[in-house]
Amino acid sequence: MPGRHSRRSVLAALAAVPLTGAVSACSAGAAGRARSTGGTTRITFWSALRGSQEVVEAFNRTHDHIQVEFQQIPSGQQGGYAKLSNAARAGNAPDVATIEYPQVPGFAIDGVARDITDLVSDSLRAGLLSQALGLTTFQGRVFSVPLDIEPMVMHYRSDLFERHGLRLPRTWDEFAGLAHTVRRELPGRRLVLFPTDGATQFAAYAWQAGARWFDTSKGAWNVSLADAPSRRVAAYWQRLIDADVVFVNAVESRQSDAQIGDGLVLTRLTGAWDAGAQMKARPAQRGQWRITPLPQWDPERPAVGTHGGSTFAVTKDSRHPEAAMEFIEWQVSHPDSLRARLSSGTSSQYPAVSALVAVGRQAFDRSYYGGQDIYRLFRQEAERIRDGWVWGPRMTATGRLMQDSFARVGAGQGSLTGSLRAAQDGTMPDLRALGLATTQHST
Amino acid sequence: MSVTAPDPAPALAPPSAAPARAGRTRTAARRRRLAACGALMTPFFALLVTVFLIPVGTAVYLSFFSADEPGLGFGPERTVFVGLRGYLAVLTDPTFLGGLATVALYCLVYIPAMVAGALALALLLDSGVVRLRAWAQLGLFLPHAVPGIIAALIWLYLYTPGISPVIELFARADITIDFLGLHTVIPSIVNIALWSNLGYNMVIFYAALQAVPREVLEASVVDGAGPVRTALQVKTPLIRASIVMVAMFTLIWALQLFTEPVLLSQSSPMINSRFSPSMYIYDAAFTRNNYGLAAAASVILLLCTIALSYAVTRWTSRADAPEEPR
Repeated sequence: MPGRHSRRSVLAALAAVPLTGAVSACSAGAAGRARSTGGTTRITFWSALRGSQEVVEAFNRTHDHIQVEFQQIPSGQQGGYAKLSNAARAGNAPDVATIEYPQVPGFAIDGVARDITDLVSDSLRAGLLSQALGLTTFQGRVFSVPLDIEPMVMHYRSDLFERHGLRLPRTWDEFAGLAHTVRRELPGRRLVLFPTDGATQFAAYAWQAGARWFDTSKGAWNVSLADAPSRRVAAYWQRLIDADVVFVNAVESRQSDAQIGDGLVLTRLTGAWDAGAQMKARPAQRGQWRITPLPQWDPERPAVGTHGGSTFAVTKDSRHPEAAMEFIEWQVSHPDSLRARLSSGTSSQYPAVSALVAVGRQAFDRSYYGGQDIYRLFRQEAERIRDGWVWGPRMTATGRLMQDSFARVGAGQGSLTGSLRAAQDGTMPDLRALGLATTQHST
Repeated sequence: MSVTAPDPAPALAPPSAAPARAGRTRTAARRRRLAACGALMTPFFALLVTVFLIPVGTAVYLSFFSADEPGLGFGPERTVFVGLRGYLAVLTDPTFLGGLATVALYCLVYIPAMVAGALALALLLDSGVVRLRAWAQLGLFLPHAVPGIIAALIWLYLYTPGISPVIELFARADITIDFLGLHTVIPSIVNIALWSNLGYNMVIFYAALQAVPREVLEASVVDGAGPVRTALQVKTPLIRASIVMVAMFTLIWALQLFTEPVLLSQSSPMINSRFSPSMYIYDAAFTRNNYGLAAAASVILLLCTIALSYAVTRWTSRADAPEEPR
C-alpha cells in the first residue's frame, strides 16, 4: 500500500497537479500546531497513506495523555512533499510527517526531519529490520522511523504460465530467454514492462545487482549512478528493449493499466505492497496471479532491492518531540495499529518491525492469490534485502532526470546507460549548489 | 515581463531646469510643478522598487548567500557567503544549458515566423484586398484575449492522442501524427504562441501602417510600383521602428517560455521539468528546494535577456545611422 498507491488514478492526478500545488501552498499556514491543554498533549500528523485515519482513531481511543490531529495530504509527488517543505519554511510543519525512503536524506539535509537518535527506544531499534533502519540513518544519526519495507518481488499470471507451459525464471538469464519465448509464441503479449517512469524500479534492479548510487562512508556524497552493476543492469534491459521483447511505456498510465487488465503482460516486478494494490485495482483477476521471488543474477547468493515503503519523521517545528515519537513508535510497532490500517481495505504492506509480520499475515485475505502465503515469501525476501544502499540528497530530481531520458529511450533516442549518465550529470550541480561535499568515484 | 524594463526616458526633469535667479512666483510655480511631477511619478517608482528592484536584489542575495551545513549536510545550518558557487553549478548543469538551447531554437523558429506572419497580415489588411476588414481584425485579435493558460489547455486537448478530434481526423485518413513527439514538441509550442499573439502584433503593425503618409504611397504608385512592391519596399521600411519593437518584445517574452510547456509536459514525456530556463528555475526552487541554484539561474536569465535586448537595440540603431544624413 505505501509508495505509489494514490498515483494509480492517473487522470485524476493529471487534473489535480496544478491545483494541489497552489492549494498546499495556501493551506500550509492553517496547519494546527502542537499544544498542550490540561495534561493532554496535542500533536499533528500529516500522511498520504491510506488507513491513517483509522490508525489515528485507534491511537486516540487508547491514549489519554496524547491526542493526535490527523490531516490527509496528497501523496508526495502530487504535492505532499512541496506542502511539507513550504510548511517547514513557514515554521509550521506538523509534529509527525510521512516521508518515503528516497526522500529521507533530502528532508534530513534541509533540516525538516529532526535528528531523533536519542528518542528511538532500544526495543524499537531492536525490533526494526536492520536494513530498513539503515536507510534512515546517516552518520550514525536516525532521522526517521520505517513503517514498512518492501522487497521487490515478481507477480506473475500463473494461469497463463500454466496454459502455455512456461517455467518460472530463477535467474535473469532465464528471464531474458522467457521474454523471447513469450514474444515468439504468444502474439501481442510480452513478459514484462520496462517502465519509462520507473526510476525507483530501476533503482531496485541496480540495488539488487550490487550498485551503490550514493555512498556517504568517506565523509562526502559519492555519486556513481553509472557504476559497473548499474551499467550491467542497463545493458541487460537495453538488449530486451532492442529485441522488442518487452513493453516500453509508463507504468502509471492507462496504457499500462490496459496491458495488465487485458492480460497482455505476464509479470509485474514491483514491491510487496503492490499485491494489495492489485487486489483493489483489479478484483476481476482474482486467482490468476501468484507471487514469486525476483530473478537473481547469482542464485547462490540471492539479493534484492526494495521498491516503495514509508517512514515517519518528527519535524523541526515539533514542540513535543517525545510525544510525537511515542505516537510513531506505537504506529509502527503496535499490532492494533497494523490491524487498524488493514481494516481500511486491502493492504499487503510488509512491516519493518518484524514482530508485526504475523499480524499482517493473519489479517491478509489469501483468496486473491489462490491461497498462497505471500507473507512467508515476503519475509524470506526481506531478509535478502542488500544492506548498504543509500538514497541521494535530491532523489526526486535525480529520478526525474533518469525518467526523462528513459522516455527518450522509449522513443528510440539514446540508451539506458546514457540515461544513468544524464541523471548523474544533472544531479551533481544540484548537490554542489547545496554546498555538499561531493565526489564521483565509480566502478 | 517586459513591463519591468525601465523606460530610459521618462522625462524626469521638466524642460525649464533651475534658472539661477528667479522671482518668488517662478520658484513657487516650479515647486508646484516638481510636486506634481513627483506625485505622478511616484506610482511608477513605487512599483519599480517593489516588483522589480527588491525581487532582483533578493535573487542576487540568495545566489550569493546560503544556509550551509558542512560535509554530508546533516549538521546544523549556518548562513555563509558562497561566492559564485551557484553560478558555477548552473553553468555546468547540462540540463540548464539544454534548456537554453531549447529556448534558442524556439526563438529562431518563433520570432521570424511571428514577425513575418504579423507583418504579412497587416500589409494584407492595409492594402484593402481583404473584405470585412474589421471582422478579420477582430477574428485575428480574439485569441489574444484568451489567457495563456487557457490557450495552452485548449491546445493540450487538441494535441493529446485519444481525446483530440484533430488526431482522430488524421487517423481516419490513415495519417499517424504525434504532436507531442520528440521532434514535434517545439513546433507545437510555437503554434500555440503564434495563435495567441499573431493578432496582437498584427494590430500594432496595422496601426503603424495607418501613419504612413498617403503622399508617399501615391508617389510610389505614380512611379509605377505595384501593390506588392509598395508593401515590401515602401511601407515596410517606413514602419521599421514598430518591427524592431515587436521583435524585441517577442524576444523577451520568448526567453521566459513557461506556461505552454508546463501544461504540455503533463501529456508528453518529451517535455521534462527543466525544458526551458524558466521551468528550470521553478523546478530548482520548488521541487528541489535549492533556492541558491534557482536564484543564480534567475540572475543568469535576466542578464541574458538584458544583453540580448541591448544587442537588438544597438544593432538596429546602428543600422539606422546611415539613413540619418538626408
